[in-house]
Amino acid sequence: MHEMAIAQGILDIAVAAAQKGGSQKIARINVVAGELRGLVPLQLTYCFSVLAEHTIASHALLNLEITPIRGRCKQCDETFIVKDHQYVCPQCQSRDIQTVSGTELRVRDIEVV
Amino acid sequence: MKISVMTDILEADDRIATVNQGIFDKHGNLVINLMSSPGAGKTTLLERTAEALKDKLRLGVITGDIETTIDSERLERFQLPVIQLTTGSPCHLDANMIASALPHLDLSQIDILIIENVGNLVCPAEFKVGEDYKIVMLSVPEGHEKPLKYPLMFRESALLLINKIDLLQYTNFNLEEARRNATKVNPDLEIIEMSCTAGQGIEPWVSWLVERYQRKIGKQRSA
Repeated sequence: MHEMAIAQGILDIAVAAAQKGGSQKIARINVVAGELRGLVPLQLTYCFSVLAEHTIASHALLNLEITPIRGRCKQCDETFIVKDHQYVCPQCQSRDIQTVSGTELRVRDIEVV
Repeated sequence: MKISVMTDILEADDRIATVNQGIFDKHGNLVINLMSSPGAGKTTLLERTAEALKDKLRLGVITGDIETTIDSERLERFQLPVIQLTTGSPCHLDANMIASALPHLDLSQIDILIIENVGNLVCPAEFKVGEDYKIVMLSVPEGHEKPLKYPLMFRESALLLINKIDLLQYTNFNLEEARRNATKVNPDLEIIEMSCTAGQGIEPWVSWLVERYQRKIGKQRSA
């Protein structure tokens, strides 16, 4: 249940950003999470709804955008989307792959009223 | 109205992890974050490691458990500095919990600190605690497909310990398949096969540790 810790992080960041902007109500929170994070969206939104009670985010919609794992071949410089955790370059078959994205986990923006 | 935020959600954790790492570096500690499923053999590995490092390097342990202090009691006979963290409910150790343990450890008396994470193949991989290396242990009864099912943990680790190889004959665990699955997810992953109860593979594991320790200390001295 790392979802609880992550939900708390999202809430803290969103509330701080809203208050800094002088807003008292958050309508929507857009979160970007890499596929490697293995987040369970339902679990995350549930944890979030519990934590957000009695805060300015209590009615906020938590929108989760899952981004794919992207790899870069260190041999031929090809970048590609890693599917089924196959870290093999589709161009030259090398296994020398650097993960470019897929572990990101951030609040991208919030919508306030 | 839209407000752009772009803040990393685990940023606070990462910041504390960086502070922890600075403290470890100052004391010349090699820090290992040891992760696995429950029952893979982490505590037995610690017992074997304590025996093997005796009179060579000073080992310290932080062990995380949801309940009970059974793990730290098992390590008592080695007279090591051991801190037991009972997390209550969290399924992983985070940087803040480690920071809270540090005042209770004399780091100047420790060369290698092993942080035994809560048994779980998912959540611990998400959190940095200030370690030099993450290590994952997979035991034979769990099955050779685990690296594909829990890719982040295997992706984040520098070393995979395949434990309980003495049980291979009783299971359909395929070592080659396990290696293939693990290196599919992480081509740089080093792999050591072992049986902590039978005493197999302890030597390469301890050499790995000692070598990493010397590398860290050497780097610090030349810096």
